[in-house]
Amino acid sequence: MKYLRQLLLYGLGALVVVTLSACGRSQAATSTTRPVTITFWHGMTDQHKATLNHLITQFNRSQTRYRVVGSSQGDFASLQHKIMAGAKAHTLPTIAQTAYTNVPTYVQGGFITPLDPYLKPGALKDVYPAFLKATTYRDRTYAFPFSKSARILFYSPQLLKRTGLRVPRTWAELSRDGQKVHAQGLTGVAFDQSFMSELDDLIAQTGTPLISDQLKVNANSPAALKATHVIYDMLQQKTATTAGTDGYGSTQFFAGKTLFYCGSSAAIPIMQASAPKGFRWQTAPLPSYQGHHATSIAGNDLVLFKSASPAQRRGAAAFMTFLLQKRQTTYWAQKTGYLPLTKAAQRDTKFQAYLAKHPTAKAANQSIKFGFQDVAFRGYPQYFMALSQATDQMTSQHQTPEKAMGRLQRQTERIIKQNR
Amino acid sequence: MLNAKPTLKSTLVALLYLAPLLLIVGVFTLWPLLTSFLMSGYTHYNYFTNHVGGFGGANFSYLWHDPNFHLALRHTLIFVLGVVPATVILALGIALLLNRITWLATFFRTVYFLPFVTATVAISLVWGWLLRPDNGLINLLFRTHIDWLNDPRYALGAVIMVCIWQNLGVNIILFLAGLGRIDRRYQAAATLDGASTWQRLTNVTWPLLLPMTVLITVNAIVTNFKVFNQIYALFHGTAGPGNAALTLMYYLYQQFYVENQYPVAAACGVVLFALILLVTGLAALYFHRHAWWEGRR
Repeated sequence: MKYLRQLLLYGLGALVVVTLSACGRSQAATSTTRPVTITFWHGMTDQHKATLNHLITQFNRSQTRYRVVGSSQGDFASLQHKIMAGAKAHTLPTIAQTAYTNVPTYVQGGFITPLDPYLKPGALKDVYPAFLKATTYRDRTYAFPFSKSARILFYSPQLLKRTGLRVPRTWAELSRDGQKVHAQGLTGVAFDQSFMSELDDLIAQTGTPLISDQLKVNANSPAALKATHVIYDMLQQKTATTAGTDGYGSTQFFAGKTLFYCGSSAAIPIMQASAPKGFRWQTAPLPSYQGHHATSIAGNDLVLFKSASPAQRRGAAAFMTFLLQKRQTTYWAQKTGYLPLTKAAQRDTKFQAYLAKHPTAKAANQSIKFGFQDVAFRGYPQYFMALSQATDQMTSQHQTPEKAMGRLQRQTERIIKQNR
Repeated sequence: MLNAKPTLKSTLVALLYLAPLLLIVGVFTLWPLLTSFLMSGYTHYNYFTNHVGGFGGANFSYLWHDPNFHLALRHTLIFVLGVVPATVILALGIALLLNRITWLATFFRTVYFLPFVTATVAISLVWGWLLRPDNGLINLLFRTHIDWLNDPRYALGAVIMVCIWQNLGVNIILFLAGLGRIDRRYQAAATLDGASTWQRLTNVTWPLLLPMTVLITVNAIVTNFKVFNQIYALFHGTAGPGNAALTLMYYLYQQFYVENQYPVAAACGVVLFALILLVTGLAALYFHRHAWWEGRR
């Protein structure tokens, strides 16, 4: 009896051990098959958000190792505030959408990590140089191009026909057109709330950017002042206007008050949705200045946060690479008005067919070859604010370019010096 | 029980009752306040790593030399001077009129109170339309063609107008509450003594309404020194044309969220705090003295 009890006890013990070890194995097996979660904060809303969610779903279906969870944080300002708060509270996601000009601040804050170890060599080799330059900071890849747009010219073919004008090829032509239609009660061109981007373009077209890669400031150089006068003089002659509290120049453009509108290609879907019934409009690349074309590329990139685990970092790189593939980047471009990021995507026959069918998308794509992006440096947000104030003072307080750009020169030099 | 002498045990029990509120005030008010005061002195500060390079008055020196800060300070003082007296006087006048009518009084109270409970963004959108240069109601009423929101000469005036309108409702309700607490026998006695309406107002109603006026004025000063939402919404996320509506709170926002100058923003917060404390203290002192003289008469 005693032996029987011992035997039963041993048997029960063995059963418990076998069961527990089996459970352990099953748990281990489950944990190895469970996908790694990649959290992704972005600033996309409405239709753009739906398009991005579609791409996220496609990625999640394309493999089993990673699962991307997208989370819209509202507009870009709210997204930036959330990233700042997350960095402070150590609650950042794996990746986030942000402007590459924030990278120096993030590097200084020590909460982003380079993408180089996780990207395959040559992963970005097909990306347009216009986007590529912004990806690196201090020789490391921190920003992955994502939602990029170009400044373009919007016009109404009916209005052009009525006024007997054609799409201007140079800023001088645009200025002359403005003077011609002024007598008819029309304004030549409407800018958004500020003409910062167009000023940036004009100065870059002189051959010397506002701030060089070596951080030399050229705001009050004779060439920059001459370029600034192009827009300033138009504003003074009332042949150009800014949107003011309307926010975007499209309001005045759709009201038939302006001949042209300088805006972002990312606004194309919004303009298609909000154009008055029967109002036909087309797009063209921005005019050239002194025989040169240059269009500032705006938009956002993707960054990887240091708090991500090695597996999450690999997954984030896989997701970013997925977004860059021809099929995804052309889908993104077609649905949002942002630019396709690779040369292969641009050459794609389906995408070319799309452009043929949707001529409003052509101008931005034509502008990629002469697109450029500002150099990123510590203190860029302060410089951006100073530039915004300089253009605002020229617009609303009629300050001369010499005065406004002279102050911008001093302010920017001080900002760069303080942040070295 | 109420007259019982406090003991250690009763004090501890009282503290226990107060603990939840003290904890909330400590975490969400006192701690951020202390941190802001400390941050205003940080130099070479890394906000994200909390590395402090040094401590000194460099951020206040920055404010002293920044023309935008001077502009913000000037605009804030003009704004407070423009809004507070007008709000208090108008609210008092409307409350006195509403107090005299019985017919539709509740309706009017509701109408006046509506702006206070409506979202500032919605209000700003509506005012954006009212202030438009082309067919805006304000221009139609005044028979003008002013671009209120895009002309630097009028932008701050437009914000003052919106804020007076928005602040009226709650102050009318407070004045009505104050008027409701005044014993009607004082008015009856004054009437029997042959006092005119104006005499009753200045010698009976006004002195008895003074505590409520102090509360409303101090509250209006504190609220309007911190004006931000209306400006942000009215001017599409800017401080108006040519910074025409740049106030201290907006400057603070720009320094913190746009320019990433965290210690400068904290220093601006300290200046704003000191300014509110000073002006509120002066207002309270004025009313206190005024009440004292009234009492001695």
